Amino acid sequence: MSQPTARALSGRMPLQMIGGWEVGLLGLMALLYIGGALLNPSFFGTSDALQALLRDSARFGVMAVGMTFVIANKDLDLSVGSTLGVIGVTFSFVFDPAHYDMGVMPAIAICLVFGTAIGLLNGVLVTFLKVPAFIATLTMLLIGRGVVLGMTGGRSILYPIKAREHEWFFQLGEFNAWGFNNQIIIVLIVVGIGAWVLAKTRWGYETLATGGNEQAAQYAGIPTNWVRIRAYVISSLCATLAGLMTVAQNKGITSQAGVLTELIVIAAVIIGGASILGGRGRVIGSYFGALLAALLHKVLREGVPIVREVEVNGEILQVNATSTLPAGAIPAFIGALLVFAVLIEPYVIRRKLLQRIFARLTGRAPPRVMETGGVAIEGAQTKGTTVGDRAVTARGFGKFLARRDALAIILMVVLWFIGFLLRPDYWAGLPNTFAILLNYTELAILTLGLTYVIACGDIDLSVGAVLALAGSTAAYALKVMGLDPASAMLLGVMAGTAAGMINAMFTVGLGLPAFIATLGMFYMARGVAAWIVAGQQLTGWAEPFNLIGRKVGDILAYFNVPPVGGQVGDILGVVSVQTIWMAVIAIIAGVVLAYTVFGQQVYATGGNRRAADYAGINTNRVRFITMVLSGFCAAMAGVINVAYFRSFNPVAGQFRELDAIASVIIGGGSIFGGFGTIIGALAGAAVITLVRALLQLNIITGTGESFSLPQHWVNTFIGGILIIAVLIDIWVRQAGVLGSLRERIFGRRKAARKVDND
Amino acid sequence: MTDKATQTPLVEMRNIHKSFGAVNALVNVNLSIAPGEILGLVGDNSAGKSTLMKILTGAYHRDEGEVLVEGKPTHFRSPHESRDVGIEMIYQDFALCGNLDVGQNIFLGRWPRKGLFVDRKRMYSEASEVLQRLKVDVNSVYQKVESLSGGRQQSVAIARAISFEPKLIILDEPTANLSVMATERLLETMAELKAQGVAQIIISHRLTDIFEVGDRVMVLKRGENVGDRYIKHTGEHEVLEMIVAGTPETAQTADEALAGKSSVPA
Repeated sequence: MSQPTARALSGRMPLQMIGGWEVGLLGLMALLYIGGALLNPSFFGTSDALQALLRDSARFGVMAVGMTFVIANKDLDLSVGSTLGVIGVTFSFVFDPAHYDMGVMPAIAICLVFGTAIGLLNGVLVTFLKVPAFIATLTMLLIGRGVVLGMTGGRSILYPIKAREHEWFFQLGEFNAWGFNNQIIIVLIVVGIGAWVLAKTRWGYETLATGGNEQAAQYAGIPTNWVRIRAYVISSLCATLAGLMTVAQNKGITSQAGVLTELIVIAAVIIGGASILGGRGRVIGSYFGALLAALLHKVLREGVPIVREVEVNGEILQVNATSTLPAGAIPAFIGALLVFAVLIEPYVIRRKLLQRIFARLTGRAPPRVMETGGVAIEGAQTKGTTVGDRAVTARGFGKFLARRDALAIILMVVLWFIGFLLRPDYWAGLPNTFAILLNYTELAILTLGLTYVIACGDIDLSVGAVLALAGSTAAYALKVMGLDPASAMLLGVMAGTAAGMINAMFTVGLGLPAFIATLGMFYMARGVAAWIVAGQQLTGWAEPFNLIGRKVGDILAYFNVPPVGGQVGDILGVVSVQTIWMAVIAIIAGVVLAYTVFGQQVYATGGNRRAADYAGINTNRVRFITMVLSGFCAAMAGVINVAYFRSFNPVAGQFRELDAIASVIIGGGSIFGGFGTIIGALAGAAVITLVRALLQLNIITGTGESFSLPQHWVNTFIGGILIIAVLIDIWVRQAGVLGSLRERIFGRRKAARKVDND
Repeated sequence: MTDKATQTPLVEMRNIHKSFGAVNALVNVNLSIAPGEILGLVGDNSAGKSTLMKILTGAYHRDEGEVLVEGKPTHFRSPHESRDVGIEMIYQDFALCGNLDVGQNIFLGRWPRKGLFVDRKRMYSEASEVLQRLKVDVNSVYQKVESLSGGRQQSVAIARAISFEPKLIILDEPTANLSVMATERLLETMAELKAQGVAQIIISHRLTDIFEVGDRVMVLKRGENVGDRYIKHTGEHEVLEMIVAGTPETAQTADEALAGKSSVPA
């Protein structure tokens, strides 16, 4: 094809075509590198540093290639980090002399099978089963992490001796005869193939078309489901390769392998010029993005050399030391980087920000920006499903089954009886009941805010992390700042609410998809929480603060109230204030959502935002309030958590986002918005709490031994429940597969439906 | 017909210009509609029908020209402002919330309240009143809109529009997604509204529907007026010819065309 013709038509090649973006990235990297070299010349100043950077970024680069295909398809794959871990652990289990002790080839073969299976599973969930990509792959991420921890038991598997027998494979992670690491060759090959496939082949064109406009691509005869599944498999296989590279380099695997990798990889792809809204992606850009993200990762992790003055025996000595950022800083910064990178496309590129600034500086007329239009310019499709309105026609028990929260209520009852059957001696007793209630309280408080967010059609993935942030802030205020309990509580709640506000600003104010903004917060809030407490033992403060996590009886005792006897005394001895507090908030939240105008506005916004806008509802305000409310609820849960444990634990609230989203969905919420009630969510939270309690129940076997499931496997199980709940919501509640199945079997009602469909 | 010319039109749009970048979407377009009149707005795709209506409702802002409502100049900045003076638009896809029921949708965004809470009793009783006034059959005001058929969803959208007591209703491709039966019912509803004195503008590709209920038909082509005729004095053939081959030079207003026609045989 002739270049001149293209030039003649378009005048000048657009900046994108000649790689202006990539040039900019290279420039930015050079600046960062020079900055790093100035801060720490002993590390960044050497060629080893460049080598190490290229080596460490190789794995990110390989995964970024796969991720580019997924993101160009308008999908997202959060599971790559744990896929890397799972593959590493799988290889190690198969290869390690202490486990199956097989050769390298069978180990690689099994890893490829697993990698393909994970990709296929992601792809099928997202395409045929219509689960939103972020929910499906986030769950896969957490399941994968649980599997890694469960299989390794949190330890490393190392086999340096056996590795020597298989030089050819483990050499892949080493330096070669030409003096650089083989992983660099691997990544360059993968990037080359990826760039060629995406830019020059039908596969690539199909991918970009699917991401640009799936419906149009479908009409044009592109099998879009297959294109999307293919991208997931590519991404998963790239993660598999990265896992094998990790194993080759380390001659083993740690249980932490791949943690945070998904964040770095997604940030890399977005920085590399891909659009989170699909249809745009550049493999070479993604590789540069991976280099940049890896460089940033390194700069953040490397210390700055400082001179510290130490007093020894009255003499002041100068000691060389390095000042490093605490562990939490890295996820915090990279989470922020992700969110800002996503903003580049809509705000800098689409709105021609740079051109406008340049035009203003040179005094020329700024280029025109396309009118984005306000309300009612785009279509306001009446969304909804074709499921018959059973609630109106059903009678008796059918009426109950037609309720969206029927599943949660039935499950709650069934699970409780299962527990009773397993441990009749203990399950129904007052102590166990209230222990369950206590676990329930934290989750229930989280679900209150989240129900609003989900009913509004948004999502908040950050609730668990915000819980930790609020908890660590309160603990820090008490212990380090020495504030009084009331101020500490207030500060903790404010910190969490602020996180909710930031979520709201990015989603509502700047128009980011809620899952991206809150995913950024998921990493940022937990990072900052870890950062705050870094190196401090946050425990042992004044008791009055802890009262908000105590039982009523304890509080009465604290205030020297004489103990109450009888049944009332028993109950006071086991009921916690936080449970009472939760009940009060739940009633308010439930009444507001069900009976007030604001509640109606929430449902209308979630059901059809444009229609609601057109009807004069300030949907931005509604969404903003719900996001802040969710942060506020998470913050309350965090402060209570710290008071209950009398200390702050950095893993507080981990996996809680999974629990909370699952609770809302089981309780009748829809991941697509417009549904969900407080009663349903509370029942859903009860289901999740009971599942956890059941899984952790000590079951006494026939031989008198007791057995209980480890925590990691419980989390894996909950992840499975979340996916099943979302599937039930999409296919049973919304698409009514049960109804059409019944129709197909019994053949009746068809006539009735025909009349209705006139 | 002479009294119509002297009477103040309900809405008058004069010399409307609108461009999107280099594309001139509307050039010097005029439109007027009398109270209780049904005007069909026809033209090819990209003729500017929807743009013109969005300018009328305030969803788009005109570059030049005037919009007069009952003789008073207006500058709507959003559809909410045009609603306040009695202009309602019903979108092709109805703009309803499928997850809410019929009553909630009719009062979308202005649910009656009693103290802090939504007054459900009043909402549902008033909703069924509106539906009765429209003479449409929706089984129950408690039914979720997503479970209704397309025709019934549209009835809800119209009922919602009526409940604002509008003077003008704009229907965007109202029959596009409807079956023959539902179209018949819709046309009856439109006649009923006309009897109640509500003016209507129908954007449609289906000339048959416009010829069945309309009073007048206006043709746009590439953003320009190419003709305007009274339904009584024209035929589908003439309108089709204007859609395909009309030019602004040969465009006449309905009254000019009528005068021309009556003068020829005389």
